[in-house]
Amino acid sequence: MNALGSARGGTARGGAPRVGAPRVGAPRVGVRHPGVGATLGRVALTLAIAFGGLAAGAGYWQVIRSDDLASSPDDAAVIAAGRDVARGEITDRDGVRLAWSLLDPNGEPYRKYVSSSISGVIGYASRAFGSAGLERAYEAELTGVTAADPVQDLVKKFRAAATDPQSIRTTLVAQLQEAAVRALGNDRGAVVMLDPRTGEVIVLASTPVFDASAVANPDTSLAAFAVLQSDPDKPLLPRATQGRYVPGSVFKIVTAIAGLGSGAITAATTFPQQPAAEKNGLLVSGYRVRDGHHPATGSTALDLVGATEVSCNIYYALVGLETGGDALASWAGQLGFGEPIPFDLQTAASQVTDGGGSFGGGFSDAVELANASYGQAETVVTPLQMALVAGTIANRGVLMRPHLVQAFMGRSGIVSVDPQVWRQVLAPDLADDIAAAMRQAVEGRLGRQFTTGARVAGMAVAGKSGTAELGGTGEPNSWFIGFAPAEDPRIAIAVVVEQGGRGAERAAPIGGKLLALWKTWAGL
Amino acid sequence: MTAVVPMNDVPMNDGPMNPLPITGLDPHARRGGHAHLPRPRPRPREFGLLAIVTATLLLGSASLAATRAFGGTIAPGLDRGLLADGPALLGYLASLFAAHILLILSGRRTDQVLLPTIGLLGGVSLLLMERLPQTLAGGLGLGRTQLVWLALSILAIAVIGTIVRSDAWLRMYKYTWAAIGVGLLLITFVFGHDVNGQRLTLGIGPVSGQPSELIKILLVVFLAGYLSENRALLIEESTKIGPIRLPPIPYLAPMIAMWAIALAIVVIQKDLGAALLFFAVFLLLLYVATARASFVVLGLIAFLVGGAVLYAFLPHVQVRVDIWLDPFATASGSGYQIVQALHAFARGGLLGTGLGAGLPMIGGALPIPALHTDFPFAALGEEMGLVGILGILGLYLVVIERGLRIAASAADDFRAILAAGLSLIIGVQAFIIAAGNLKLIPLTGITLPFISYGGSSLLASGLIVGLLIALSDRTAELPAVTGSAQRSLRRRQNRGSA
Repeated sequence: MNALGSARGGTARGGAPRVGAPRVGAPRVGVRHPGVGATLGRVALTLAIAFGGLAAGAGYWQVIRSDDLASSPDDAAVIAAGRDVARGEITDRDGVRLAWSLLDPNGEPYRKYVSSSISGVIGYASRAFGSAGLERAYEAELTGVTAADPVQDLVKKFRAAATDPQSIRTTLVAQLQEAAVRALGNDRGAVVMLDPRTGEVIVLASTPVFDASAVANPDTSLAAFAVLQSDPDKPLLPRATQGRYVPGSVFKIVTAIAGLGSGAITAATTFPQQPAAEKNGLLVSGYRVRDGHHPATGSTALDLVGATEVSCNIYYALVGLETGGDALASWAGQLGFGEPIPFDLQTAASQVTDGGGSFGGGFSDAVELANASYGQAETVVTPLQMALVAGTIANRGVLMRPHLVQAFMGRSGIVSVDPQVWRQVLAPDLADDIAAAMRQAVEGRLGRQFTTGARVAGMAVAGKSGTAELGGTGEPNSWFIGFAPAEDPRIAIAVVVEQGGRGAERAAPIGGKLLALWKTWAGL
Repeated sequence: MTAVVPMNDVPMNDGPMNPLPITGLDPHARRGGHAHLPRPRPRPREFGLLAIVTATLLLGSASLAATRAFGGTIAPGLDRGLLADGPALLGYLASLFAAHILLILSGRRTDQVLLPTIGLLGGVSLLLMERLPQTLAGGLGLGRTQLVWLALSILAIAVIGTIVRSDAWLRMYKYTWAAIGVGLLLITFVFGHDVNGQRLTLGIGPVSGQPSELIKILLVVFLAGYLSENRALLIEESTKIGPIRLPPIPYLAPMIAMWAIALAIVVIQKDLGAALLFFAVFLLLLYVATARASFVVLGLIAFLVGGAVLYAFLPHVQVRVDIWLDPFATASGSGYQIVQALHAFARGGLLGTGLGAGLPMIGGALPIPALHTDFPFAALGEEMGLVGILGILGLYLVVIERGLRIAASAADDFRAILAAGLSLIIGVQAFIIAAGNLKLIPLTGITLPFISYGGSSLLASGLIVGLLIALSDRTAELPAVTGSAQRSLRRRQNRGSA
């Protein structure tokens, strides 16, 4: 800043006494006043700082926020490209086309989808209604506004053709996705299947489905979208990632992770008061947590395996109380609770409590903590979150970052997405303890009455069913989470059927059926 | 040798030893330029810088033409060629060199950096206006209309830099100028017509303009006159309220009144940007003249209180502030323009999309409707990237630096404060609109000097830079002490000796 230098130079001179040299308008001869040079320097400094602030602001938007904003589906360049550019194809992991572009009679592109089964994950891209799902998440890549390669992105101004529409190869398996939607049938619900070793999502199904091709086709777009918007079953809600459900007993796996992980219990811990409490209820702060008695277990105090096998609420309430609200909330946080899961698609946050309570971890009191420990109270989860819980156990305590894309393929080359460890949640041997309990729940003699349907011929399955009471008189939500093969897990699953009844009746059989189909697909 | 004589050549603030300078009384000395033609004085530095500016702009125009040639869109009425709208650019360059020659012929030893700096800013503006939809302005189209105003502005710089050899006409009639300013505001408020909900434009027959562009200069002229005359009093005297020492309120009264009237009317006109500009320049000049931080503190308190009151009672202020706090909340409503501007910056990234390759059109419309007036900074951010933005900011800093340098080496307080005020107008105005574009402060609709589209703004900015160049001539004599100044001097001397 020259101005500073020069003005400072002026300071010394300007500040020097100027006896006998009064100004026009100076009040008294001989009075000293510094020249304006001194203050000019400070004013110059002020402006220099202000312009430095402008440079920093520009740097923030043009460097730090550049990728984020410029590839956003709301960006004008992305929207403009979406109207003119034929978007890249979307395929499943084996190359089966899921979405592709056609040209209307005016030569303008529009989108076509292989089936409605993928509507909950691929979404739609419509000229009139924008986009949703994967179409929205990778708007910039599909329309080629941003190249997948950051170096290519930087120098794209030197290329003649500005856009490079990329094809996306997803991690999905089209036939399993189709099967999951068929298995859910007319029910509202969701299925998530993922590879626990890599985080690759194999199935991300949400019902009811909708005809995304009808939304995308300019001829039918208006009518189709209007019907979908007014449908009380909300087909446009992607339930697998954004549906928030009371988990019921499948949440016990989270409680087990917190209990074992924090050292509050071991796999061998038993609670002497548990058998009696099954008859009379467990007195927690003057409130009785009740559970049906499990006749087959008699009056034995159950350990982790036994309690998981018969899905004992009292045992898990005691584990939760032993662990404490803070530890339960923080271990759940390790698994992804409390904030939207970082994923290709927009996700909703799962919660163990609605928070604000002073008891610890946001719980309001011991009763809420006890109830939350077996998945009631204010606990709500997304199907994706519960699939990650099962996947963490299956992958021996290591939580992989879930992802939906294997590769972006454009003119500028192919960019593959590598598996990433998200968090090391639990020690491997502790994860193995829980895996053994989950295996017993499906394969054990007593567990069968809860999760019989999840069994697959020729392959050991580990899992946990859940029956989430919703209050009132409605049917409970039916849950199943699990993984297989139990001895060397390669697939994790979460199934929820809204008001599907007991977990054993609806969700567990769907889980078993899909795991069997997966087994065939995987060639086991 | 620079145009501005380095300060060690002539001591700064080396005012006349005598309060009644003898040369100032000689009318022929003051109008020396008119008596016979001055000897031309070469301006080698200005020429060199103008050559660089020419090369830069030709390169930019060729880049824009290349973008068009390789599949980009082309504005209607323009051809593909080696240069994007070559005749316009050549016309612009011709006006720059004509101004250069005029300044050579003036024979004055004046600043040689300002003209090329302004020339580059204006050239960037021309390139931008050429690549925008030409229908944004009627008649000649956006680019050609901007060319005409730019050329007039450049010419105004040269003419004022040549012929203004005395500042007596400014300093002697400060209250007259202030009155004209207030009058212009009132006339605009009564007879002006509304554009975009703001009553800023005054039309006389076919000619229309925004008087607030002129008013900001009149304000600075008034402040320079008043502050230089009362500087010593403002520094020395205080109003004591109990133990608290406050600035001499009686001497501030005329200025505060001037400022309050301007501000009130500006607020009524909903021109927040001009209000902010007036206030910031007012405070900075007060500080320049008095070096009293207490003025700045009081001013900032007044600003905060006033801002809170305006926010509480004026819906359009609330909307502006709310948009600023979270534009993304209303991204498709009131926050639309600023969100689009931020996206434009983001698309530009480090290196930019290249001239002509940014600003995607959706349905034949620009993402930002008021791009050419309120958001040229965002447009440049997209097409020239962070690198280009830093360059533009650097050019404004050069203008500020030259202006403050002229102020620091001015012959007396009036010229110093005037030069500082004029350069502060350019600097603060550029800051306010750029910061608004970048969401650093609430967005206000004022122009980016020498870049935004608009005749009033370009002419006013040309007037400012022309005056700065004239003020940089330190051989120009100081005018005689005016009657009123003499009276006030006598008054104070009497009191001082009492």
